[in-house]
Amino acid sequence: MQRNTISNQHIKALLVTTIIGVGMLSLPSELAMILENDGWIAIILAGLMLIPFLIIIDKLFSMFPNKSIFEIGREVMGPTIFGIILIIQAIYTIIVLAYTVRIFGEVIKVYILETTPIEVIIITMLLATAYLSRSKIEVLGRMAVMIYPIIIGLVVFLLAVTLPDMDYTNIFPIFNADYKQLPRGIMTAVFSYTGYEIIFLCYNYSDDNKNTLKYVLRGLIVVTCVYLIVFFTSLSSFGIYQLKREIWPSVAVVKEVNLPGYFLENLDGIMLAIWVIAIYASLTSIFYIGGAVLSNISKTKTHELFILPLIPIIYTVALLPDNLVQTNEIMARIISYAAIIARVILPIIIFISAIIRKRRSRA
Amino acid sequence: MRRKLLIMSIISLILMSGCWDKEEIEQRLFVTDIGIDLNEEAKGSDVDRLIVTYQYPNINAIGKNATEEQRTYLISTISSSIFQAGREFRNRVPFPFYYKHVKVLIVGESLLKEEELVRQILDELNRDTKTNKKIMILVAEGKARDILQANYSEDQHTDGVIYSSVRDNRSSARFTPKTLTDFISDFDISNTTIVPRIILENGKFKISGGCIIKNYKFLEWVDEKENRVINFMNGEVNLETIDVVHNDDLIIYTIIRGDTKKDAYIENGVKASINVEIEGYLQGYTMNDKKTAYDNKVLLEMENTIEKEIKAEMEKTIDKLQEINADIIGIGEHMSKFHPRDWEKIQDSWDNIFPEIEFDVTVNVHIRRTGLTK
Repeated sequence: MQRNTISNQHIKALLVTTIIGVGMLSLPSELAMILENDGWIAIILAGLMLIPFLIIIDKLFSMFPNKSIFEIGREVMGPTIFGIILIIQAIYTIIVLAYTVRIFGEVIKVYILETTPIEVIIITMLLATAYLSRSKIEVLGRMAVMIYPIIIGLVVFLLAVTLPDMDYTNIFPIFNADYKQLPRGIMTAVFSYTGYEIIFLCYNYSDDNKNTLKYVLRGLIVVTCVYLIVFFTSLSSFGIYQLKREIWPSVAVVKEVNLPGYFLENLDGIMLAIWVIAIYASLTSIFYIGGAVLSNISKTKTHELFILPLIPIIYTVALLPDNLVQTNEIMARIISYAAIIARVILPIIIFISAIIRKRRSRA
Repeated sequence: MRRKLLIMSIISLILMSGCWDKEEIEQRLFVTDIGIDLNEEAKGSDVDRLIVTYQYPNINAIGKNATEEQRTYLISTISSSIFQAGREFRNRVPFPFYYKHVKVLIVGESLLKEEELVRQILDELNRDTKTNKKIMILVAEGKARDILQANYSEDQHTDGVIYSSVRDNRSSARFTPKTLTDFISDFDISNTTIVPRIILENGKFKISGGCIIKNYKFLEWVDEKENRVINFMNGEVNLETIDVVHNDDLIIYTIIRGDTKKDAYIENGVKASINVEIEGYLQGYTMNDKKTAYDNKVLLEMENTIEKEIKAEMEKTIDKLQEINADIIGIGEHMSKFHPRDWEKIQDSWDNIFPEIEFDVTVNVHIRRTGLTK
């Protein structure tokens, strides 16, 4: 039986598993480049910045109970304007997917499958992802609940293996960064919260809408804590200079570890094996968003239709940049700007026009 | 339908077994130790400036059913970089090299005169995706190749003899084991580092004391005693035995643990204080009816003597460090971490400031136990 409602616990798990993905690997070093030892401030502030938007979304859905974001948007903004926004959102989603899967391919190629062509890595991952993305949101939610403890386990694993060799004095000096750089730092950190859009889609499916906000905020706290732990473990293991040098410090930090007794070495394999699952969860959710947005643009009944045709597009976009540096510079920049539209402006516009619409109808 | 399924499963048997590009472990050469020396003949040219030596175990000679006698192989060539050497060796060895288990990097003394080369080697190792960043770095007095040659014939297990000695002596304070990451971050922070020195003695290798490197260049050798107190000052107080003369008797004191507190501040110039707390037990005294260690007064006197001895050693070593201007005891690091504002002011002239620092050294020794006898 398909109930097609999900519990708040599912929404929380969806939020956490969608957000935590590729950003986790490079975040510490990118923040260290900008804010030195104080990168953690940006992580916390970026997390705090999302809270007003989550509250706006909550208000919006309580104004229009049992309606999806698409219905609300079309009702308050008119089909044309909302159509344009949806197209932007679709392009943004495709680029995010392409970026994620490209970085995934690069990391896997560097650390695990050295001789496998990156094309093969990308296409297999996309196919595996597509299988789950064709399901309904309820299935995605259940999958997220299964993957959630794995992600927490990943962080615990990271902490447990690095703790013995850590030099915690490396986190000093605290509060010594150039605070003019803070906005740039926050932008970088916000980039790692990509994927929180999933709650736009699942909010109205919740079986207990009153408490959803509470669970979503809890999910946000979990994500922030995960990022903080990743930042502090890599900072205290590497020290600030070496941290700036690393591209993916969170994996490299595991390479520093020798387990007591030396019976296991090169733990990066284990770390990445778990990380693949985290990426899988985050890709599926974003893929689902892409399918749902496209199906709304063309007014089809289900989103499944668009998942498979999306694969060649994502594949092509993912392979467009020549090298890793280009990927990180161009794609990440496009995503940062598009993210402002998709995540900041979109909820605010819908919210404001919703308020105006309500007032007008009352008057 | 059934037939189709059958055919498909038979095909999948062939295609999905995953054996088509298998590689046996005997067909890989796991490099364990790498030695690098300067190629004196290529002086002035930009390429081929290194003599790279690989040591790798003979996998067929390991284990119960060993089929071959020779335990390790040694191979060496002139090359521009560590990994390029591996390519050049391919003409001489049957299988490709694998670097995931490199454990030891021995750098020849002469190479440390060339700053550029050292920087290149470090970047190459740090950048490489396969090498473990836990490689132990040692400096050879003389040629690295000779040292690898010396332990060539010795009993070999997979890790390599030198690695085992460095690793197992982690509990010794007579040298400072240094991994690649530690090595690089030391340069990042203070531009100086200390790595163990490896020497040849009677045809066998010996790890003894350390080598201070500053700005990627050789600076000074330190002996075991100096290295020991340097470790004490860095808070790496491990199992170690100290012998001092107390009232004409030799007492042996074993350290089991210790703790170091450092502080540095600006007050009419930079001042630094180092406070070392040491705990341990009495290992040996003298068999004499009139003398007993089972007396608090005697113990306190002994503690005093040991404190004086360690303090004298420390002050001597600090003088030496100030003379050669090598801040390997982390005073600059401490200031940058805990007094960042002050550090910004003096950071650029640290090389002029360090030799002038006034040190205040205190040592606190506790004899917690006296063994089984009184």
